[in-house]
Amino acid sequence: MKMSDLKPGDKGTVLKVEHMGETTGRLMDLGLHKGASFKVVRKAPLGDPMEIKLRGTLLALRMKEAESVVVEKEIPAAKEK
Amino acid sequence: MVKKLKSMTIALAGNPNSGKTSLFNAIAGTHLKVGNWAGVTVERYEGYVNYKDYRIKLVDLPGTYSLNAYSPEETVARDFIAGKQADIIINVVDGTNLERNLYLTHQLMELEPEMVIALNMYDEVQKSGITIDFKYLQKLLGCHIVPVSAATKSGIDSLLDHAVRVYEKKISIAKNKIFYSEVVEEAISKVKALIETDTALTAAYGARWLAVKLFENDEAVYKMLREKPVWMRLDGKLGPILAGLETAIQGKIPERILEDRYAFVRGAIKETVKAPNEGKVTMTDRIDSVLIGKYTGLPIFLLIMWLIFQVTFTLGKVPMGWIAAFFNFAGAQASVLLPAGNIRSIVVDAIIAGVGGVVVFIPNILLLFLGLSFLEATGYMARAAFVVDKVFHKIGLHGKSFIPMVTGFGCSVPAFMACRTLKSRSDRLATMMVIPFMSCGAKLPVYILLIGAFFPVQMAGNILFGVYLFGILVAILSAKLFKSTIFRGQSEPFVMELPVYRMPSIQSVLMQMWLKAWMYIKKAGTTILAASLIIWFAANYPVNKALENTMNADAVLQSAGKSPVEKSVIMEKYKNEYAAARLEHSFAGMIGKGFEPVLKPLGFDWRINTALVSGLAAKEIVVSTMGTIYSMGQIGHETGGLVNRLRQDKAYNPAVALSLIIFVLLYVPCLAATAVFHKEAGELRMTIFYIAYAMATAWVMAFMVYRVALLFL
Repeated sequence: MKMSDLKPGDKGTVLKVEHMGETTGRLMDLGLHKGASFKVVRKAPLGDPMEIKLRGTLLALRMKEAESVVVEKEIPAAKEK
Repeated sequence: MVKKLKSMTIALAGNPNSGKTSLFNAIAGTHLKVGNWAGVTVERYEGYVNYKDYRIKLVDLPGTYSLNAYSPEETVARDFIAGKQADIIINVVDGTNLERNLYLTHQLMELEPEMVIALNMYDEVQKSGITIDFKYLQKLLGCHIVPVSAATKSGIDSLLDHAVRVYEKKISIAKNKIFYSEVVEEAISKVKALIETDTALTAAYGARWLAVKLFENDEAVYKMLREKPVWMRLDGKLGPILAGLETAIQGKIPERILEDRYAFVRGAIKETVKAPNEGKVTMTDRIDSVLIGKYTGLPIFLLIMWLIFQVTFTLGKVPMGWIAAFFNFAGAQASVLLPAGNIRSIVVDAIIAGVGGVVVFIPNILLLFLGLSFLEATGYMARAAFVVDKVFHKIGLHGKSFIPMVTGFGCSVPAFMACRTLKSRSDRLATMMVIPFMSCGAKLPVYILLIGAFFPVQMAGNILFGVYLFGILVAILSAKLFKSTIFRGQSEPFVMELPVYRMPSIQSVLMQMWLKAWMYIKKAGTTILAASLIIWFAANYPVNKALENTMNADAVLQSAGKSPVEKSVIMEKYKNEYAAARLEHSFAGMIGKGFEPVLKPLGFDWRINTALVSGLAAKEIVVSTMGTIYSMGQIGHETGGLVNRLRQDKAYNPAVALSLIIFVLLYVPCLAATAVFHKEAGELRMTIFYIAYAMATAWVMAFMVYRVALLFL
């Protein structure tokens, strides 16, 4: 699934950043490379861009950019009874 | 005996938000020189510090996340380091965010400079319970690490001490080999061997670094190597090596290189850093949940902007009054001290009035920049861009465009400069084109005069607000138009870090404010001075001796036989009338008349045109020129008389006043601003287009407003 499909509070791991030219390089320089785990913090008050937390760093990116990041959503562990 | 100091150059490199500039300030103090890197609009900070036997030149390299040369900042930093322009590199690393910061360190090390790592924000590191095994980390990185804190100014002497001793080769750590995964290393060594046949090139850049850059598809390195003889050897072999590697790793090579770098960094951190649980809610998280929260984010953004304007204009009023009083006083004194004639006129009417008119806005500018610098330093500015990006994106601009646009309400000069933060050229030009529509401080006196003269007091505030809104609306529509036509080029992606909130030191905020304000004072001051002199000349020459003689004779005739009091009234009237007549026959007057056919449809007569032409020097000069034209003599800042004069004048009515307000709002800003636009845009073509666009927009809008107003007023 895409990073843009995640909701605030969701956690995930980056599988791949689809090729977008310079943007890819920038996203990766900021730490969004294969295997990086992150958490979606929030969306901006107007719904775009979104903010993620990536190992202590807060990153903002537009939904359009988030669409190019293929991620695996972390299934929250089922609460124990 | 004065010791002769040896010189050395230290460059600071690091991530944005790593506290690099604070550290730079902490070392260099206030002795800063700001300029531009040759050929690019990236700010260059330099400072000097004396330490032991050395006079050290400090260069603050632009903050970057990597050295890929995507952006002008990265290119500048990379060229500086790769070109060995510094004796020592201090790599500033944010100790609270080691992983991403060391990623840059990894790339710096590949260039094999003499380097010392300044582990910044060490006070925060300790406070949050993180422990770092410095000795081992130094060994892994092959580089000295000095814990420092720019905020508390601790560790700075130790840092300089290390830098000097590394430079003197008194201390050294065995350079550790930065490694990639085995398959990548194999391919690197093959390419490296080929490059090493060119000894000069290898000595200049390092064969290994060049090889890695080839693997990363680095255009600049490819371009450079293609022009060297060594390319003959590489040409046939590089392709197969890369293809082989691609098959081996089953993926893209640049990505693999990047992943390997992160793996190296993560490995080093795992071995040396013990951090407490990272999942806990930080102060920044808590502040953000309000400041950029779903429901609170927008209202708070608007409130903060509103506050900045309130502070700028209400607090600014007081010192503004003092400065205005000072220049009035200086003008009056000069009028007394200097003999009547050209010298007095130049000093009083051109220099004091022209420069004074600009200097009067310094308190406003300082306060505006104080507010903006504070927001910038705390980390809110990036969040403001985050909050408003959607709106700006819709009109074709970028979240970061809003900072220059807000600055534009103060003065367009620093606003154009603030556009440097926009990386994409099309975004930057589109933003610069619409900045003048954000009504600057100098236009305010014009609105106040005209609104005061033609509209009831209770409506004045609303009309003024409406004028500002109108400017914003024109800016939005223009931006949309530009981005869907001429500046259709790729927008800059919105990918930015939201830095951790920090309370900035007063010193650093004041310093940032001063640096920005100084650009305004210097640029505006010199250009305005020159423009004021030109306009003074245009308004005073050619002298029509015959006219003066006739009018003088007429006045003498009239006053014959009258009492001394009546005589002085008549002579005063003559002086004012002569001033007006002289202006009418001057170059400025001729220009004003020349524009009559063009500006007549907007309701303007030649006198308004003349004022508008002088307004090109600075917008507030429109008011003082009108003072001269309407025979008010030296009106300075006292406009009460002028208001009555305008009301009585048949050429004026509320519709003309509105049309004039709109024209002043939209037409080309002052010469100083236009000069800065030209410098920042870097193309004559662009500047001409910008002038033509502003003029055309001003004409069309003023025409529409005038015609509609005629129907209702």
